[in-house]
Amino acid sequence: MLNRLLRASPYIVVQLAAMYLYQVAGRIDFPAAPGRIGPDFWPKSILVLLGLVCVYEIIKNLLIGETFTAAGLLEKLMKDSGEVEGEEKLPSYPLLLGGGIVLTIIYVVTISSLGFFLATIAYLALFMALGRYRNWTVIAASSVLGALGLMFIFMKVVYVSLPLGVEPFSAVSLWLLRVMGVH
Amino acid sequence: MEALVHLGNGFLQVLQPMNLLVLFIGLVLGMLVAVLPGLTLVMGVVLALPFTYTMELLPAIILLTAMYVSGTYGGAFTAILFRIPGEPIDVPLLWDGYTMARKGQPAKALGWTLFSALGGGLVMIMVMVLASAPVAKFALTFSSPEYFAIIIFGLASVVSLGGGSITNAAISLMLGLLIATVGVDSIYGAERFAFGVPFLQDGIEYLLVMVGAYGLGEVFTRMEKGFAGDGTVADTDRRINTEFPTLAEMLKLKMTFMRSSLIGIIVGIIPGAGATVASFVAYGAEGQYGKRGKELGSGIAEGIIAPQTAATSSVGGAMIPLLTMGIPGSGATAIILGAFLLHGMQPGPQVFVTSGPFVYAVFASMFLGVIGMCIIGYFAIKPLVKVLELPEAVVSAFVVMFCFIGAFAARNNLSDLYVITAFGILGYLFEKFKFPIAPMVLGVILGPLAESSFMTMMVSHGNDWTVLMGRPISATVMVLAVVALVYPIQRQLREKTRRSGT
Repeated sequence: MLNRLLRASPYIVVQLAAMYLYQVAGRIDFPAAPGRIGPDFWPKSILVLLGLVCVYEIIKNLLIGETFTAAGLLEKLMKDSGEVEGEEKLPSYPLLLGGGIVLTIIYVVTISSLGFFLATIAYLALFMALGRYRNWTVIAASSVLGALGLMFIFMKVVYVSLPLGVEPFSAVSLWLLRVMGVH
Repeated sequence: MEALVHLGNGFLQVLQPMNLLVLFIGLVLGMLVAVLPGLTLVMGVVLALPFTYTMELLPAIILLTAMYVSGTYGGAFTAILFRIPGEPIDVPLLWDGYTMARKGQPAKALGWTLFSALGGGLVMIMVMVLASAPVAKFALTFSSPEYFAIIIFGLASVVSLGGGSITNAAISLMLGLLIATVGVDSIYGAERFAFGVPFLQDGIEYLLVMVGAYGLGEVFTRMEKGFAGDGTVADTDRRINTEFPTLAEMLKLKMTFMRSSLIGIIVGIIPGAGATVASFVAYGAEGQYGKRGKELGSGIAEGIIAPQTAATSSVGGAMIPLLTMGIPGSGATAIILGAFLLHGMQPGPQVFVTSGPFVYAVFASMFLGVIGMCIIGYFAIKPLVKVLELPEAVVSAFVVMFCFIGAFAARNNLSDLYVITAFGILGYLFEKFKFPIAPMVLGVILGPLAESSFMTMMVSHGNDWTVLMGRPISATVMVLAVVALVYPIQRQLREKTRRSGT
């Protein structure tokens, strides 16, 4: 039963979200014109279809316990080829993944304060180390040179205005920009 | 005649030094991303997009299409030499390409690959030049029911031809269509699913969905596997050469070549199919109809020609609906459409009327791209496969950076970084629970087009949706859409019943 519930869980989540969004779609505010469908019609239609597909999968997985799924052509071709089997045997590192996601969120949160250059050096170095790469010289060099290179390419060549950060970190970004000749 | 003049002018434009440089860079980048197992072709094209923001339209499209074309070829090197398919496209090359290499003929296998990529590429250019203008002219007669039907067919085939189960693909597609409705609706000005959040009121850019789900999501997925590629997989110091097949050998296999080119172009035109399906289908067709079909897998040239020719020629097939109807059928063409829109040009039936010379310049660049790709492939295999030695953790760290800069640069909005992180996590969850990403991305892209053509159709025809079945083109396309969805399910159910019966 637990296996069945696990298999059905993604569909249950999507189904609940679809039901909630259908409620939200019912509250879309618009000037109704007689005889014309409103802006809620399209999303509501999609949500109904989404709900139907999810209900089918929930009944199939949870109640009947059927595991057969009709695969898309590409999926079938790959399965028939037998070349995808190896992927299943790879070990899983959930902590590594969790660390990577947290690190990425921290980068996004701090980039506006630290500025692109400092935040990127820290992110690149920590990401490589977290990714079990242990050549510290390469990590240090590629983080610093990578952040510098990206800053130069995007601010000097492609003209993208990357975040400079707030004081005192912005002083570093501004100094670098002066050195690079970016005004 | 006019087409030839435009094509000639197109060559002159592409031969400008800056355009040639961009073409060269695009070809090399396409091959690199195809060689690296951690990077997919679509991801590569996504990561290159921010570099095109400040370019003129022509070099921007040259860069992305060059990557698209050469990306179908580069992965063949590692598949043949090291049994490492850089892309799913290259999986069929393992069966005969790698086997031929193991039999002591790696140079010959590489030669057949080069010949196939060149031939498939040249045929695709020819078909594009000859077919695009008439298709665009025909598409000028379409109105909203035909457009809506074509989009529905496209979405149905994305679901039935792609990876993952059909129901998961349908869920992915509908989530994409829903994401496209976020923000202020263009007809009534009503706010939908914004929840009072300012950046949601502007809508969710499909670029963010693509960069997040394809780029960041893939990095997270590989991170969970501990970045298995540690850069020590291949002995790249071995001697690598390319030996061309003789003219007599080529002529002997002309039917394989023609059949596979045709399959590539047709499969490329069908939305959702793309180079991978083309490569597999052509290999399968060779097994069924080829003179030496039963010998496939034993290291014969047909097993190399069929998938490689079809993969490369599918690019031309995919470009036709993009240019003539503004409908992208694959991840890579969706990004190319994004580049068009970012530069203020909408591809579609009018494109030959308004921007004919530009379109022919794109064709010319693709022709030169095919030639250039083969020259680079001939001379630079060894340094190209050297990238396999790069540690995956280092490459992935920089992939994340390009994702962030690409997302940020589109609107200079830091909120977009949160959006792509969210879609990165969603992309990872999709991979984890075997939901394909492509339908969601195409849903986000085609959603607004589908909704606007649906609303226009309903308004113009008094809310009567049966108009779809009352017009010959839309009715035919709708029937095809239903067949595309129902046929694979019915066939697999029949297969299952037969298996359980025995």
